Amino acid sequence: MSDKRPLIVDSHLDLGANAIQINRDLLQTAASVRIHDAEPVMRSFGSCTVTFPELRKGKVGIIFGTVMSRLDSNDSWTRTGMWCQAQCHGVGRGHLAYYQALEREGVLRFIRNTKDLDDTVTAWDDPAADTPLGLVLAMESADPILDPDQVPEWYDLGLRMVSISHYGVSAYSHGTGTEGGLLPTAKPLLDAFKEVGIIVDLTHTTDQAFWEILDIYDGPVAASHHNARALTPGQRQLTDEMIKAIIERNGVIGASFDSWMLDANWQREVACYNQTSGATLETVVDHIDYICQMAGNTNHSGIGTDLDGGFGQEQAPRDLNTIADLQNLPAIFERRGYSETDINNILSGNWIRLLKEVWAS
Amino acid sequence: MSEKPVLIIDGHLDMAYNALFYRRDLTQPVHVLREREDPVRRGISQHADSLERRKGIDDKHYTVTVTLPEMRKGHVGIMLSTIMARVMAPSVASHNSVRTQGTAYARGQSHLHYYNALAREGEITFIKNSADLDACVESWQNPTPETPVGLILTAESSDPILGPDQVQEWWDAGLRSVSLTHFGANTYGHGSGTLGGLYPPAYPLLDALKDVGMILDLTHAADLTFWQILDYWDGPVHASHCNCRALTPGQRHLSDEMIKAITDRDGVLGMVFAEQMLSPTWSWDDPTTHYTTATRPMKSVVEHIDHICQLTGNADHVAFGTDLDGGYGKELAPTDYNTIEDLQRFPSILEENGYNAEDIDKICHGNLIRLFKNNWS
Repeated sequence: MSDKRPLIVDSHLDLGANAIQINRDLLQTAASVRIHDAEPVMRSFGSCTVTFPELRKGKVGIIFGTVMSRLDSNDSWTRTGMWCQAQCHGVGRGHLAYYQALEREGVLRFIRNTKDLDDTVTAWDDPAADTPLGLVLAMESADPILDPDQVPEWYDLGLRMVSISHYGVSAYSHGTGTEGGLLPTAKPLLDAFKEVGIIVDLTHTTDQAFWEILDIYDGPVAASHHNARALTPGQRQLTDEMIKAIIERNGVIGASFDSWMLDANWQREVACYNQTSGATLETVVDHIDYICQMAGNTNHSGIGTDLDGGFGQEQAPRDLNTIADLQNLPAIFERRGYSETDINNILSGNWIRLLKEVWAS
Repeated sequence: MSEKPVLIIDGHLDMAYNALFYRRDLTQPVHVLREREDPVRRGISQHADSLERRKGIDDKHYTVTVTLPEMRKGHVGIMLSTIMARVMAPSVASHNSVRTQGTAYARGQSHLHYYNALAREGEITFIKNSADLDACVESWQNPTPETPVGLILTAESSDPILGPDQVQEWWDAGLRSVSLTHFGANTYGHGSGTLGGLYPPAYPLLDALKDVGMILDLTHAADLTFWQILDYWDGPVHASHCNCRALTPGQRHLSDEMIKAITDRDGVLGMVFAEQMLSPTWSWDDPTTHYTTATRPMKSVVEHIDHICQLTGNADHVAFGTDLDGGYGKELAPTDYNTIEDLQRFPSILEENGYNAEDIDKICHGNLIRLFKNNWS
């Protein structure tokens, strides 16, 4: 029996960090990981929602998987921040190597060009139980890139989208939670991205850095996991002007599933197991709808859940158990009057279009 | 002792593990890292999402003793340093082990690429062949404060090697010595703290290791694993960081028969500078004998060196394999040791105990140089 459900692309998942730093076996079901996680892991990172069997169950056939390590010596929050870029480079290459090991096992395949992308989309039209997931390699904070000279090497390794900062101040720019703009090192790095064709991910920029990037960089842009500030206040979200700017550049904005970015009443200083999320999948659709209304079409919204990105089920929309539940989104869109084409644009088509446009030029 | 410092080769350090797991910037002096890691200054994150909490190590802190500037000051010019990742069942206690071999590969690669980044900065230099080794030894005749520390890349546990077909890739990356196992039973066999031998995948791996010319490190082999390896393997061996079971009880150490088996093959034994490897009352196999503060000075290492030299009738098979900062810190290092710079005091300790200059050179660097040069010729 063929699987008629829509293909879903998730533009932001920190699978490498989950496997290596949190130490989860992502080849197990989420239920199995929850059983095996030690109690302090559950307390710190919440209950697992993303593993390969769950992605498969939700027909999330294409994912942007990150390389994630950042300079952040004052990181009293997660204490994953590093003191020097050599450390970030090591951690980052470890995440890449995890994806390479999974490719060797046939769990996933890297998507590096249009042909890889077309092949993966075709394979997921009617996937078998062992059809490999497609992985687009992304990077959250550019600190693992030691200098612009190293950009071609990273591109050859598969890197296709990069946000130059994360939390704190990276080697290249101010990021989320700080005030300030790009550092002088950013321009040569952005030039190197332009040269090879890497998409600049505007997520985790400060407001100032956001606009500075758009001023000096005329290559492809996106926001991998980002919601609307009009609906959820805070620097972490995009203002209307920012959303318009990304739309004008033909970019795509992935909707993030972190309650901190969906629920204005979410208290970041309170542990996730001591509060209930006010967000549901409907709330996510509110953000997507807001962007679609602003664009006047459905060509610039996508799914960029960031599920298990430092938080678990407790901090996800409260009607989501695992990432397989993304398949509940189509019915919500339908009820709101979205056509089948619109739904496919949002769930997969827009990211596929952006990648193809970048790789065709 | 002469005015000129002696070149010291440390046969076992876990530098990348320290840099990435404990987030130590090893290009900084020890005092800077100690200040950063001061329990008062670092605090423990009160947020639920804190690594200390998830690792369950709130109350454990190992005071740092090994960084690159201290190594330069102590003339520790060459190190065997690890990629270290092992597969082990989930538990808080095994927070530095991983769930799957794919993850072990990833962690091993993260260690490799940390070293690559340091090499790119000129902090260290990879030693992959005899010419590299000669050049590095030469550079340490008259070092400057910037002379890179030489690195011979080793693996503690072979879990990061995903199969025999991947051995060449690791060799090309610089890997020159591997132990099949570490703590627990892994992909290839039984290691420290377990009873058992090799698993079937070990044999094709050994064949591939032999083909490229890898040296096999017998450290962390369970007893049966140790003898099964020697039955099958006729390539070069050493024990990068192992002391004598005759002096310190427990399976973690080498029996006299094991020492002879290694030295008969011209292998070299690296001496560990940890209380738990030097104390006659501490048994690895009996947690009730364990404690948290060192009682033994550096010269107690000489007891183990003497024991091996008496067994073999010469000083040709002993070296350093300190394992300093390898899962312990200053707390369980020798009582008269502060940072790795202090290893430079060890030549005079040997001299005081009757070792001549030639033997001291062999122990400090000559034996390990011979081990690798013989194998790389």
